[in-house]
Order: sequence, then C-alpha cells, then structure tokens
Amino acid sequence: MATLARSEVLALDRAARARPRIPSGVGGVLPGTLLVVLALLGPLALMLRYSFNRFVPGELMVEGLTLANYAKFLHDSFYRDVLLTTLWVAALSTLICLVLGFPVAYALVRQVGPRWKSKLLILIILPLLMGNAVRTAAWMVILGDKGLLAALLSGMGLTPPRLMYTPSAVVIGLVSVTLPFMIVTLQSVLERIDPVLEEAAESLGAGHLTILRRVVLPLALPGLLAGTMLCFILSMNAYATPVLIGGPQFHMMAPEVYQQVAKAMNWPFGAALAFVLMTVTLVLTTTANVLVQRRYRRWSE
Amino acid sequence: MRADLSLDRFSPTRRQALLGGAAAILTAGAGREARAAAGTVVVSNWGGDWNQRTVRFVETPLVEAQGLTVVRDLGMEPERKAKLLAERRLRRGSIDVIHLNDSDGFEMMKQDVLADLDRSRIPNYGDVVPALRKDYFVPWLYSGVVLIYNKDKIKDPPKSYAELWDKRWAGRLGLTNQLYFNYMMMSGLIQGGNLTSVETGRERLVALKELVQPRLYAAHQQLGAALATGEVDIALNYKARGLQWIGEGSPLAIQYPKEGAIAITFGAGMPKRAPNPDGAYVYLNAMLDRKAMAELAAASFYAPANGAAELSPELRARIDFSPEEREHLNFPDYAYVSKNTAEWLEWWNKTMAR
Repeated sequence: MATLARSEVLALDRAARARPRIPSGVGGVLPGTLLVVLALLGPLALMLRYSFNRFVPGELMVEGLTLANYAKFLHDSFYRDVLLTTLWVAALSTLICLVLGFPVAYALVRQVGPRWKSKLLILIILPLLMGNAVRTAAWMVILGDKGLLAALLSGMGLTPPRLMYTPSAVVIGLVSVTLPFMIVTLQSVLERIDPVLEEAAESLGAGHLTILRRVVLPLALPGLLAGTMLCFILSMNAYATPVLIGGPQFHMMAPEVYQQVAKAMNWPFGAALAFVLMTVTLVLTTTANVLVQRRYRRWSE
Repeated sequence: MRADLSLDRFSPTRRQALLGGAAAILTAGAGREARAAAGTVVVSNWGGDWNQRTVRFVETPLVEAQGLTVVRDLGMEPERKAKLLAERRLRRGSIDVIHLNDSDGFEMMKQDVLADLDRSRIPNYGDVVPALRKDYFVPWLYSGVVLIYNKDKIKDPPKSYAELWDKRWAGRLGLTNQLYFNYMMMSGLIQGGNLTSVETGRERLVALKELVQPRLYAAHQQLGAALATGEVDIALNYKARGLQWIGEGSPLAIQYPKEGAIAITFGAGMPKRAPNPDGAYVYLNAMLDRKAMAELAAASFYAPANGAAELSPELRARIDFSPEEREHLNFPDYAYVSKNTAEWLEWWNKTMAR
C-alpha cells in the first residue's frame, strides 16, 4: 500500500516535471484576461437572462423563463421591418465605404510618398478623434432643410432635395462615421502587397483592370473582409446617427433597444431585441467570413 | 477570490500599486460618508440650463448658504431612475434628492424608491397649489400642453385641441416625438372627455395624421427651430416652451385649449434610502422658497408650484395660468399612465412615427 502510494507520488512528480512548463508570463496575463472575460460576458449573460423575463407594465420586470419576448419580435411585422431597415442601411453604407475607401487606400499606399502618407493618414483618422454625436450634429447643420447644402444648392439655382430625416441622410452620416475604419484597414493590408507583383503582371501584358482583378484584389481580400465587417458591425449598431439625422420616423435596431429599455422600461423585450441584433450581426459576419475565406483559398491555389 | 490568488503572481511593485489603488478607493468612500455626516446633499438632476437655474436660484443661495455641500449627479431621467432602482437592494443609497417629473415620481413611488415626505419638515409646502400636492413629491414648476402658433401668419388660431382636426392646418402642425403620451391623452380627452380614454382616442390620432399630416420632431429644440423658420406654424407643446421661444424672438402666441391643458409638473422627491434625510428636507424646503420660486419662474417660464411666489403682476399674467385656467388643468392619472405607457410608445412608433 505504502509503496504503491509512494510510486504513484513519484510518477506524479515525474509527470509534473515532464510536462512542458507554463510560460512565466501567463501568471501576469491571467488576471487581466479573467477581468476582461468577466466584464465583457457578465453584462451579456445578465441581459440574456433578462430577455427571458416577463414584462408587467408598471412593475419593471417579473422573473420568469419565457420565450415570449422573442416570439413578439418574430410575430410583429413592425420589428421585423426595423431589422430589415437596419440590414439594408448597414449593407448600403458598407458598400459605399468599400467603393470609396479602396481607391483612397490604394492611392495612399502606391502614390503618396512616406512624408505625406503619415500626414494624410492622420487627416483620415482625425474625424475619429471627435465624438460620433458631435460629427452627426455637424451633418445636421449641413443636411438640414435650411442647412448649408440647401443654401449652396439654392444659391446655384437648384432646388435642394429634402435630405434631413431621410434614410439617405442616415447612410451619408454612417459612411462618414465608418469610412476612416475602412481606409485604415485596407491601407494596412495593401501596404503588405509587394509592388513587384503588380509590375510582374504588367510586364506579362496585363492591363490595369486585370491587375486589379487578378492580383491586387485577391491579395487584399483579408483586408477587404476585415474592413467590410468593421463597417457593417458599426453600422448595424449605430445609435446617434439614425436618432439625430434619421428623425423620429426612421427606425433602426439600436435606438429601438434604447427606447424599450429607457423609455418603455420594458427591459425584457429590450434585451431580446439586443440579442436578436447581436445574433443576426454575428451570423451574417461569420457566414461572410467563411464564404470569403473558402473563395480566397480557391483563388490562392 | 481569483483576483486575490492571482495577485501572488504579480511583481511586488505592481501589487503595491494595486493595493494602494484599492486603499485609495476605500478611503475615498470613507471620505464621502464622513462628508455626508458633516452635511452633504447628493442631488440627482437634469443637466444643462435646468441644473444651472437650480444652482443659481436654490442650491447656492439657500442650501449651500446654510453650510451644506451640494454634490450633483446629473443625467437624463432614464439613467437616473435606473440607478435608484438598482440601489433599492442596498441598505443605504447614494442620492438624497432626485428631480423628476410627476409621472416618473409616481412610478418611483410605486417601485418603492421614493419615501413619503414629512410635511412638517417642509414648512413652505403649505404654499403649494393644492392640486399639485403629493405625499411623496415636492412639486416645483409646472406647465400645460397648449397651442403655440405663429401670430403673423395665423389670425384666427384654433381655440381648442379639437379644432386642430382641420384641413386648414395640413402640413403646418408640429409635434414633438417625446410628448407622445400627452398627444395620446389629448385625443382621449377630446373623444372621451378625460385623460383615461386613450383607447377611444387612437382613431382620432390616426385621423389627424391623415388629415393634417403633422410634422414630427425628435426634440423640443428642433420644434422651436421649425417654428422660428416657418417650417410649421402651430405646435402642441408646454406653455413654458412657447414662452421661451417667444423670449428668443419668434413671432409666436399662445392659446390655452378649451378642453383644459394637459398638465405636467416637475419636482423632486427623497429616496427611502437617502443617506442624509435632514439635508434632503432642508433642500426640499429651499426649493419652495417664495423668492426663489419667483426668480425661477421668471428665468424658466414655468409656473411656480408655490402659489405665494412673489411674482410681479405682469410676470404672473404672462407666465402663470389664470385661476380659471388652473382650475381646468387636466392632471394625468399616473397609475393609468405607468400601466400603459410602454404599450402607447409602441403604438405611437408603429402608427404615428412611421
């Protein structure tokens, strides 16, 4: 018995010695990681729990375990429309960001010297140093019925279109908010593409468009994907822009969540809406990621 | 627990820094309690000009002058309400006085947040207009939803809420999205004669949308701007707002509706777990000071809840409601509002704000 125990202990001891040592840095990293996981997932878990509670008007929230809040979302065409609006607005502004952002990022990488590049990059990032709400307020001044744009257009003898409180204004606002993210992401990826590859293609007789299509775009695909996702996620969750320049008649998901939680005091339904928004965003971005990665692998073979 | 264990792995300097930080937080907490005992009133209030006026006319001259220190916790009411709701479980809260409107005050009382007030400790409460009195609430400033119109363009304004249902006003009426509950109660008032007939009033609102196509603005400020630029010519909003816009130079006039205006009251209450109830009572009494109320009314254009506020006759005529108007004010049934407001908001979003 005793010998057995002793051999067991020895074996354990040896096993412990044989196991690869945990790098000493882990000890320092662990508490931080735990804190981040708790701080990120804790509130999410709480909201998920709330989304199964029942809402009794005047009583805030009643503990429960019901899917009624999710069922309400599915059965109510209003909220489905809100989600659809959110989706197309986010998709359109992401597309515009992509179309506008790529040439800028490409020019920045290939055509601008190192001295100017950093200055231009700062210029592009500059809007991000200002709060989203403040920038949106500036757009209100520009797009308003009696705003700068209207004044400029009527000065030129044109009838200014009604932009304020329209979906177009929201898309303009969202593009201005997310474009810097797209440009910076694309720039960092394009930077890593060796210009020699493009020169090689050119020497073999490929035109500009062919080079773009066959060489640059496939190589830049990870960046395109990352930038697209960033813009799409930011647009899906936009709050200030739809509220301030979309007006009360324009409904997107994030403001709807806020309204349910803060104004209607319906926390369970607000939480359910938040989870629907999160799930849809997650599923779409993951699917896009998988599809594009697969395509990318095929391309690179 | 895990944080404690992992602390062992920190280098001494970092551990010391962390402990130092924790100690600093602890002492800061202790310091706050010590100050509370020495006379701190923590006031939860809206920010902006509302707070500026509160500081200028009440807090500085009447509360801090008595040796109390006022600590302000400023924000919009949803956040401030949520904070108090979250604090219900604590033995001791952090807020002594909270500024709210009457409906929110009722809701917080129902949620077991606000305490019933001992009026013997608020001597000025005796001056409060009787219709505004509540056990849990110190009414402070009030107003009513009136018709605000451009007097240059409209010579024959609507005299009642009901007269807005008229093709003449098509495209000329502006509403504030924030006041949806008032508009819903208004249509109930026209249809059913009281503020608890929202159910029967809904069709009227749909009819208004079809007939007049009111323009919906996100906030009061935008409605004010629209009136100033002539985008709309009539608005339904608080009389105080109308007076503010007139004060800013817009050519507007005010019409008290024949049905009686729907009233809104702003005021304050004391949470049950207030750390310094003595300080809170000093503050609540100071709010109702006759002179302060008069100055506040002049600065904010809201009518003073203190009936004995020392207003000059012309100021009273401009700001306050006449005794007859005051008698016809319609006060919401707060229990009815708090039970239905979530559903109203949803209906409004789906039907009117689309």
